[in-house]
Amino acid sequence: MIAVKTNDLSFKYAGSSEWTLREVNLEIREGEFVVLAGKSGCGKSTLLRCFNGLIPHFYEGEMIGRVEVWGLDTREHPPYILSQYAGMVFQNPDNQLFALTVEADIAFALENLSIPRDEIRKRVDQALKIMDIEELRDRSSIELSGGQKQKVAIASILAMHPKILLLDEPTSSLDPFSAKQLIDAIINLNQRYRITILIAEHRLEMLLPYASRIIIIDNGRIILDGNPREIMEKHDVIPYGVSIPRIVKVVMQLKKTLNYPLILGTPLSVDEFASILRRWEDK
Amino acid sequence: MSSILRGLQFYPGKTVIHRLDPRVKLLISLLLMATAAMYIEVTIITIVIVVEALLSTVAKVFSRWARTVYGAAPLIILVFIANFLFKLSMPGQTLSFQSIYESLQLAYRLVAFLASFSIFFLTTTPEELGMALTKMKVPYMYTFAFISAIRFTPILAEELQSIVDAQKSRGLELEKGNIISRLRRYIPILVPLMVNVLRRSYELAEAIEVKCFGAKKNRTYLKELKMTTKDWITLSVSITLFTIAIYIRYFSRITIP
Amino acid sequence: MIIFENVEYIYPNGFKALNRINLEINSGEIVALMGENGAGKTTLLKHLNGLLKPTSGRVLIDGVDTRHSTVASLSRKVGIVFQNAEDMFFSPTIQEEIAFALNNFNFPGNVIKKRVDWALKFMELEEYRMKSPFLLSGGEKKRLAVAIILAWSPDIVALDEPTVGQDVLQKEKMIQIIKQANQQGKTIVISSHDVEFIADLRPRIILMNKGRIVKDGPCEEVLTDIPLLQECRIIPPQIVSLTSKLDFLGFKPKLARPEEVASEIAKRVRHLVKYS
Repeated sequence: MIAVKTNDLSFKYAGSSEWTLREVNLEIREGEFVVLAGKSGCGKSTLLRCFNGLIPHFYEGEMIGRVEVWGLDTREHPPYILSQYAGMVFQNPDNQLFALTVEADIAFALENLSIPRDEIRKRVDQALKIMDIEELRDRSSIELSGGQKQKVAIASILAMHPKILLLDEPTSSLDPFSAKQLIDAIINLNQRYRITILIAEHRLEMLLPYASRIIIIDNGRIILDGNPREIMEKHDVIPYGVSIPRIVKVVMQLKKTLNYPLILGTPLSVDEFASILRRWEDK
Repeated sequence: MSSILRGLQFYPGKTVIHRLDPRVKLLISLLLMATAAMYIEVTIITIVIVVEALLSTVAKVFSRWARTVYGAAPLIILVFIANFLFKLSMPGQTLSFQSIYESLQLAYRLVAFLASFSIFFLTTTPEELGMALTKMKVPYMYTFAFISAIRFTPILAEELQSIVDAQKSRGLELEKGNIISRLRRYIPILVPLMVNVLRRSYELAEAIEVKCFGAKKNRTYLKELKMTTKDWITLSVSITLFTIAIYIRYFSRITIP
Repeated sequence: MIIFENVEYIYPNGFKALNRINLEINSGEIVALMGENGAGKTTLLKHLNGLLKPTSGRVLIDGVDTRHSTVASLSRKVGIVFQNAEDMFFSPTIQEEIAFALNNFNFPGNVIKKRVDWALKFMELEEYRMKSPFLLSGGEKKRLAVAIILAWSPDIVALDEPTVGQDVLQKEKMIQIIKQANQQGKTIVISSHDVEFIADLRPRIILMNKGRIVKDGPCEEVLTDIPLLQECRIIPPQIVSLTSKLDFLGFKPKLARPEEVASEIAKRVRHLVKYS
């Protein structure tokens, strides 16, 4: 099943003279874990908003081309329908929770959809469990830490049972430790529950080992799209505002000075790198 | 001033009063206020205030309730003086014990007024208040706006502090100068605050959009208010007492000191 | 010269954010405060210009006790770039926004003009001089925030989480700015949890945990103390993690540039050499 698909998508915000997205063509299949990368202002956030109908229904502007989410044309369906397929989590932990308790925040979307009370209760329990935040049920969301708030935000979207999760720099205001916890939870959603993940991020070291695909955007265009390992190996991505994990830099150096065998591939995490070297040492 | 505000903030607890249906509590507050409005006699007003004090004790919020009253003292004194002076300015009035007494009664009654709602706010969570509004068929949009306002007040307070800190760090001195220049000095505080509120509203609007706000006309609710036996009993007792109060006031010849 | 003598700070709600802080920062140093959110970094920064005054102990900025000074007078010497500095803009143009502080500090008119011009140039914002600060992009807003503080040339520049939400190019620029400002003689204090950014900067590091200073030393020493970093809930720089996991190749955890690590690995893994 194709999760999202775009055909020659271009978008210009109302009042802007520049096109924010230019002829974007991509196809993402169910179950993929895709990272959107690129410098600030490249169009990642705008692209995400095309996948739940915020563009073109909430944001005014000119949209050319076609976007399909789980087979539905985004022009023909309002955000409240599309959001049930592609849920979105935003950057700021403070501006996406508005109820007085965590439980109420998770129930919010379901109440808006007129879902019967028993079903709401079930889904709230389920969402709390999946995100491992059952102990936060009765807490006021104001008192929580940034990382906890983001987990609640994700839970409140999961309650709608979306097939796709769109995340717009969800860790940017978190410290690295909380960021790692959040990312681990997101990875779990993909690996255990097969939720398609589309995440825009700057903090790539934690994500790359698990991402099945990285799409690099520059000035509204897709520049690179593929397997993170291959892309890191073959291309210089820094000019596009994409950070290269340090160990990848080490590998790139090894290759330059030493004919490092390509069959070993490009490790993306410290553990991977260490085990590759260990295997060679043992031989 | 802040003690008045604190008297209106929810104070958590599990007392009988806390657990009453918020609509019943609201009604009790209204009835107490109406009783204080009907009577000017000191005895009755005292009874009303004593009832309020008792309720607050049962709810274990007596000290906070008392603080509201205490905090309102300047206001009450002001009303007393204003009323007294007003009386004096009327033609033919003289400074007499009677006019002082009447102004005092007015001010004293104000205490009962202010204190009657304090109990309600001290023992009702904003969430319960929201549920009460919904049950009373207030359109969800307004309840949501109300709850959001409550929920975001502490966040905005923090934001305000942050802005004040930043501007002070740029050399802004708020205490200096005369009235006019002081007002101007608040521009670097108010403009960023407004911009912040606007930006936040926009982000919130996006967030509620992706959570399907307004998608269906008949919204369901996870939690709903249900009147229990205790609620009905409290309700009937209150209404009975109030009816007696009306009767005494308007239909009987009993005079009260 | 910044001195903290037995500083304690307890918030009105009773939370003790700083517990017996003793530290000395000399003129011209670059120092990074590290620790998880809540460790006390921002609280400590706010003590530098008197926004917060110690509940016990004292803070001396160039010999002046902060308890006996106003924030305005201390700010003349200590400029703090707050994390959400973009939230303090209010002027119709960037030019006026930068001039605001200079006016508050009673700089003469001709000096203000020169300083504004310099700040715009230094932070590469000249083309936006007459633009509204609200219309800038995120990165430009951050640059403006720094321009505002550097314009009045404080001796001490403090930055609270300067790299949040920034991409790799913006971070590199930030490092350059910090180094340049330091070369001009300014003392720099940075609060950050971005280990890679700090590792690239190589400052002295003051590691905080639960309101206390648990380690104070050169970057190489602090960022390689993996057990301590873990206790403080800080993820070590990747190179440090890598070298610590390569103990079977004879490595010890260290902070080094990728090229150095690569050549060390090459030396120690003989089989790789066979392929060359």
